[in-house]
Amino acid sequence: MTSRYVTLVLYGMFALVALALEVRSRRSRSSIPSLSTVFTRIMRTRSGRVGVMAGWVWLGLHFFAR
Amino acid sequence: MTSLGSDDEATTRWVEPPPAHTTTWTGIRDPVVLILVLAGIFDWLSGNPIHSILLFAAAGSLLWVALRGTPEEADRPASDRIDRADRRSRRGLVPVAVVAAALFSIVVGAFGRYSWPATIAVLVPGAFALWFAWRHAAPFAPGVDFAAEPQKLASRGVLAWIGLFVALGLFELANLLLQPSFKTDSYIHPTLSVMTDPILASHAGRSVVLFVWLALGWFLVER
Repeated sequence: MTSRYVTLVLYGMFALVALALEVRSRRSRSSIPSLSTVFTRIMRTRSGRVGVMAGWVWLGLHFFAR
Repeated sequence: MTSLGSDDEATTRWVEPPPAHTTTWTGIRDPVVLILVLAGIFDWLSGNPIHSILLFAAAGSLLWVALRGTPEEADRPASDRIDRADRRSRRGLVPVAVVAAALFSIVVGAFGRYSWPATIAVLVPGAFALWFAWRHAAPFAPGVDFAAEPQKLASRGVLAWIGLFVALGLFELANLLLQPSFKTDSYIHPTLSVMTDPILASHAGRSVVLFVWLALGWFLVER
């Protein structure tokens, strides 16, 4: 198993954990909120909204802009 | 003090502003400001001045408001004052927005990565979204009762999400540091950016990623 393979597997595991958390959040009386709920809570404040949206803009700049 | 209207009326809610000195101190300690400043510094060191200017500007704006002692409107989305009927009617704009986003993605996807046209094309919706986030919150947010008190989230559940994103960030940072240099990619330790390079090399790939980016922005603005 090469180091690259390990790296890719770990990235895949992060995605699987995220998926598992999201699925578990859909259960009734789950103590885990959905990602949407977490973002909704974060964005109830101005600094939360601006921080999250700045992160989104940064993502676009990172992939496409100078 | 809280005042709630009926479902079809504009819903208005007020929150007593905290004392000015409390607001200022809270603003300076705001972790969002710290995160934005740190991200801006590292982006600057990585040779991305435009990116870091954006992050510094967002941090500076939040700090400026805090230092002025302006109430931060904590726990009160600006959309509280948006009429719910208007919110419903604006949902009809979704198909138009989807078509506009698709056209935008196809046109901007034709521009080369890191070109000035692509930079401006990303900055324009980005600036609008930031302005919108500053002035308003979700105009459409389905199923969200803005009149209600903020939902209490189980700390264990929130920590699970925080832990996941922090771990992913540290793993990404480790891969970045394992590269020969900040500007030289590693085949063995690819970052997420490096892994997306083959997709973003084609017009179709760029268009799809741009559309997903816009959809993510829409999702966030709706919160």
